[in-house]
Amino acid sequence: MPGTTKVRSSREAVVLDERKASILEADGCAGPGIACEQASAAGAVSQRACVFCGARVVLNPITDAFHIIHGPIGCSSYTWDIRGSLTSGQDLYRHSFSTDLSETDVIFGGEKKLARAIDQTVEAHAPNVVFVYATCIAGVIGDDVGAVCKAAEERHGIRVIPVQAPGFSGHKAQGYRLAGDAIMKLIGTTPFPRDKARGINILGDFNLAGEMWIVKNYLAGLGIDVITGITGDSCCDELACAPQAKLNVVQCAGSMTALAKRMERDLGIPYIKVSFYGIEDTVSSLMRIAEALGEPETVERTRVFCEEQTRLLDPVVARYRPRLEGRRAAIYVGGGFKAISLIRQFREFGMDAVMVGTQTGRPEDYEVIRSLVSPGCVVLDDANPSELEKFMLERGADILVGGVKERPLAYKLGVAFCDHNHERKHPLAGFVGVRNFAEEINSSMNSPVWTYV
Amino acid sequence: MARRNEPPQVKERGALVDLNVNPCKMCMPMGSSTAAFGVQGCVTILHGSQGCATYIRRHMATHYNEPVDIASSALTEQGTVYGGEGNLHKGIDNLIRLYDPAAICVSTTCLAETIGEDVAGMLGRWREKHPDSKVTFVPVASPGYGGSQFDGHFRFLRALMESVEMRPQDAPPRQLNLVCGPMSPADMRFLKRLVASFGIEAVVVPDLSENLDRARLPVYDRTPAGGTPLARIATMAGSALTIELATFVPDGCSPGAYLHDRFGVPCTRLNLPVGLRDIDALVDELTAFAGVRMPAALAEERGRYLDAMIDSHKYNAEGRAVVFGEPDFCYAAVRLCVENGVVPVVTAAGSRCPGFEEELRREVREAADRFLVDRWEVLEDADFGDIERLAVELRANVMIGSSDGRRIEDARGIPLVRCAFPIHDHVGGQRVRTLGYEGSLTLLDRITNALLQRKEEGFRAAIRDEFYDNTLLSQAHRHRESASHELLAEANAALAEDRATAPGAAQAARPAAPGAAQSSLPVILSGARSAESKDPALALARKTAQHPCFNGGCASENARIHLAVAPACNISCNYCVRKFDCANESRPGVASAVLSPNEAFERYRLAKERVPNLTTVGVAGPGDALADWERTRATLELVAQDDPDMTFCLSTNGLLLPRFADDIARLGVTHVTVTMNAVDPAVAGRIYRFARLDGVTYTGEAAGAVLLANQIAGIKRLVELGVAVKVNTVLVAGVNDGCVEDVGALCAKLGAAYHNVMQHIPVAGSVFGDLPQVSRTRLDEVRKRCEAHLPQMYHCRQCRADAVGKLSEDLVRAVEEAEGRRAAEPVLADPVVATLVVPRADGARTRHAPLRIAVASRSGSVVDAHFGQAASFMVYETDGTVVRYVETRETERYCTGQEACDPRAKADRLERSLAAVRDCAAVLALRIGQAPADRLRACGIAPVCTCDAVRPAVLAAAAELSAGMTTIEFKEAASL
Repeated sequence: MPGTTKVRSSREAVVLDERKASILEADGCAGPGIACEQASAAGAVSQRACVFCGARVVLNPITDAFHIIHGPIGCSSYTWDIRGSLTSGQDLYRHSFSTDLSETDVIFGGEKKLARAIDQTVEAHAPNVVFVYATCIAGVIGDDVGAVCKAAEERHGIRVIPVQAPGFSGHKAQGYRLAGDAIMKLIGTTPFPRDKARGINILGDFNLAGEMWIVKNYLAGLGIDVITGITGDSCCDELACAPQAKLNVVQCAGSMTALAKRMERDLGIPYIKVSFYGIEDTVSSLMRIAEALGEPETVERTRVFCEEQTRLLDPVVARYRPRLEGRRAAIYVGGGFKAISLIRQFREFGMDAVMVGTQTGRPEDYEVIRSLVSPGCVVLDDANPSELEKFMLERGADILVGGVKERPLAYKLGVAFCDHNHERKHPLAGFVGVRNFAEEINSSMNSPVWTYV
Repeated sequence: MARRNEPPQVKERGALVDLNVNPCKMCMPMGSSTAAFGVQGCVTILHGSQGCATYIRRHMATHYNEPVDIASSALTEQGTVYGGEGNLHKGIDNLIRLYDPAAICVSTTCLAETIGEDVAGMLGRWREKHPDSKVTFVPVASPGYGGSQFDGHFRFLRALMESVEMRPQDAPPRQLNLVCGPMSPADMRFLKRLVASFGIEAVVVPDLSENLDRARLPVYDRTPAGGTPLARIATMAGSALTIELATFVPDGCSPGAYLHDRFGVPCTRLNLPVGLRDIDALVDELTAFAGVRMPAALAEERGRYLDAMIDSHKYNAEGRAVVFGEPDFCYAAVRLCVENGVVPVVTAAGSRCPGFEEELRREVREAADRFLVDRWEVLEDADFGDIERLAVELRANVMIGSSDGRRIEDARGIPLVRCAFPIHDHVGGQRVRTLGYEGSLTLLDRITNALLQRKEEGFRAAIRDEFYDNTLLSQAHRHRESASHELLAEANAALAEDRATAPGAAQAARPAAPGAAQSSLPVILSGARSAESKDPALALARKTAQHPCFNGGCASENARIHLAVAPACNISCNYCVRKFDCANESRPGVASAVLSPNEAFERYRLAKERVPNLTTVGVAGPGDALADWERTRATLELVAQDDPDMTFCLSTNGLLLPRFADDIARLGVTHVTVTMNAVDPAVAGRIYRFARLDGVTYTGEAAGAVLLANQIAGIKRLVELGVAVKVNTVLVAGVNDGCVEDVGALCAKLGAAYHNVMQHIPVAGSVFGDLPQVSRTRLDEVRKRCEAHLPQMYHCRQCRADAVGKLSEDLVRAVEEAEGRRAAEPVLADPVVATLVVPRADGARTRHAPLRIAVASRSGSVVDAHFGQAASFMVYETDGTVVRYVETRETERYCTGQEACDPRAKADRLERSLAAVRDCAAVLALRIGQAPADRLRACGIAPVCTCDAVRPAVLAAAAELSAGMTTIEFKEAASL
């Protein structure tokens, strides 16, 4: 069992003054909000990435686009094919292309190199769309990336879309917004006649470990057509059809709400927020989609389907629950929607969250989190390793759900770990995801190794 | 800049000169912050955007499996415009609060350097504000564009020497400085042990051995507690010698040079101690320095490495390696390869490095000359696009480097020996050993084993392909009909002629659209429209227009039904698993059931009621539509009687096409698809395991030749008869993807109307199951080229053999429900045969356990005896590749043909014959009567009738048994 031999910190737990407003203990009532959506404190060792990262995460699953990083090599190196976003078609997006700016380019400017790189790309690959990500220094050295892209568009007659994403221009969520803008450039703002609209778009399921396919299969069985994922196993032609959708279904609300709002405003497509993590959320999301589309037969079919699926999972829950019940979970993930689902999902197995944090949660997310968790649970925004260390030890967490950066810390502290980041190789969404999730948390929490350490 | 080329799997033309395709290098802050983990109590703050720190942390945490805390000054827009001093000061304050570090590495990023941050000044002003602070700052100028992680590593070390206040007087006598380049924590632990074994006191910088590979402890310290203490670093100025283990230290970054110039400490620079020569050099240096003999245990290690070098040298001589990564790593790995006779055909440093190419060329040439390898490359500033292209071109068979090579390993099947940084897809990157005799031995073993495994997996097939087929070819020549001979020669000559003429010629040779076909149709089914009966071309045009496959434009309106009446197949395609599905004409996944002609007709009737716009009826397998022509003919006749306006099509491999072409046309089939995968019998031979024609089984090139000759004759005849012919080609990566255009050219010449190039769908368990799928991009490119010869079918969906509906949907379930049954379980092999299916340890690579097979043969070379008349059975064993003769078993004949039949005696004899073959999986005979065949089956022995030569027949039977072949052919054979 994790924590059989308790690990302790050799240094005193410190919470920096500027971090205090971003940490609070749930007390069952809604007091003043948590400080969030702010720049990370210097030297605090934030777990967040940057604006560029946010933009690349969202756009990368457009599998037939050419993604060029205009800047020095590091950003290209560290983001090369690191996400388990799967494709059914092209795999161009799994390559990492960069202008690899050198010292000379920094001195003399990189515009010409970028223009040549685009020309060569078009010549060699005839891509449908090129995205050009300008990282930290492109603007600083005076490159007009927008102008280079515009000229290239005219030269080649294809879309060359600049994504001005210097890392310092905000935090990751700013990158999501930039990606949303780029997607709007791709799909345009011409509304489709609403009376002819059909099907739905799925926003913010990046098809990690095929999760969008799983959701799509459910919907297909219910007679609901998915026009396109935005973005997950997406291609440019399919994205262009996005305006035809009757409804936008937003999964990763943190990254996609802004785009959903824009599509509602410009294209008249309403949206609902969903989540496919856990039985409860999966059922309610499928029902809400069916209800939003307004066909009574579909709603009925969905109800029957969900009942059937839930019934099939009853024995799974019954098997695992006795082994998991009463254990304490710590959650530190990217966005609020996932944290909220996880709290509920742990509850399905009789587990309570004792620490819940996110990198880029928004005030409304934290409000939900605070009302969901039991009193005493620590809620924190943009946490750092020393805070994670402090609260996991203090609250006696048995398992941490997080990303790869947090994993070694959990293990060092004798805490089990569940990988819920972009690199995982098995699906955690949908009904099948419930089974995988139970298996994964059981396999870590109840591993024999904890009896020996 | 090195020759730039995109990775061949993306596309093979043009050159991306200004684009890095999949980087083989990282940035300077990666190097500086990693090296900083080698100093006790040192933490790093990167002066720049938040993302740099987070990316580097993720990259390191995945490799080392350790918490990697690196701070950022988290510059914002404001900091970028007005300077980041406030952020940096705040960051340092917070870092001290959280980690109480002894030293802080302040490493700049692209951004800080570009906006011109004066870090030294900022740190000075911070000190003024905090006069009591004891923290040591190590400022490192490390813009990402200024060099790679390799440069960053040494810049940190140099800055460390310059930043620590040196106290030479505190150094113990005869102290050694050991300066390390990038290496694994386990290798650093080894180095520390090594110098200690000489009784030498040494200061090792950096010392990553603990902080990046910690032991499990009951307390957790977020500040790195291991590593070299600053107090010891301060004594380095008083050491007796510095050994710098690095070959390509960047100019001005050598810590040893600094200690020498500033404090007079002598410095020796040695290569990383990998491989005999460089380990010996270090050991000699240490021996001399310590004034002692080489420790006995070390001498033993050396001897063991030498022994291993000898043991493995012949395996290694086949090694053609790709070595990639940091300059020093490349150099070390190349020298290890070279002294062991592995020829590094591609050496690629991801960054620029003065002197690298020259030095490496000298090394590689040594090995290349010995083994007469003419082409090899050494590159600087290479990316994985370059590396992949050259690895393929120069036929590399092993790669040595970081896990970033895994995508090439996947795509090209070249095994990767993972070492250096990063290793993201395996555990234990922090513990990979390469240094010292033991480390080198471990690395050498891994390289050799990678070569051995590759050889073991491939040599049987390679040798069989090279030699075995040719011996059979002469036999095939004897059997082959002379007509086929001539046709093939003629077609090949025509093709050669085509190639010789200008490209435009092929265009001109393009046949008229099928609707305008000039040749007349000899017989039209009764009931055809009168105008069309006068002008058959009209009928063809109408039918083509409503055929969803041949007319892409109507694919969205018109529907078709595939009637799965053809279970048997007479060829074995290497992309196919014969369980009622054909990867070519049907999506992997079985046809739900094989139908009799009457069942098929009922299904068609149901479909017609329920599927609107049903215009087309086809027979597309799951086997070959002509292999059992009677079933196909009977089915189509039934449908034609019901609706003569229906468009009929069928698809075939073409082996029996010359025989049935006239029948096909007479029946009113207007559209035929022939799958032709190559025009070169040798290439075709790699695609087909065998082709079986009139009782003779052809394999390899002979199979290819026979099939091709019949395809050509068949297509020609169909075109003469006015049937529209579509040619399907399955594009198989690395097999026929180079010559598909030739298929198009030949078929255009023969008068085919369409060409459909399809992606090979790798099916687990098939011979080609492990091949990569050709990408859509590549497919489209091939189609584009083939378009010069024939119109391409871009809307192909590679439908199931029992598909119903439009191309875009499949109503098979709907029709099945109408038939009152759920989708049936896949029809599996007859249980008797199923018990003989050799179990597979894994789906990917099949190994056959030996099968025992009895043969009734008089001559001993050909299966030429009747089961009942066989005086003896020859028993063979085969693993599917080699046929081994075991023994001959005498048996009393149980049927002499003349003697009066005493039923009891006869039964006894049968039992005796059975006893003789009881332990066999199959009995091969010219004829087997129904009763004995049933009896054999009941005993779990498959009765096979054949007139083939013994060995091919045994192999074929073994292949069918182990492929879980259906019993259909066995049954048919038995009833011959």
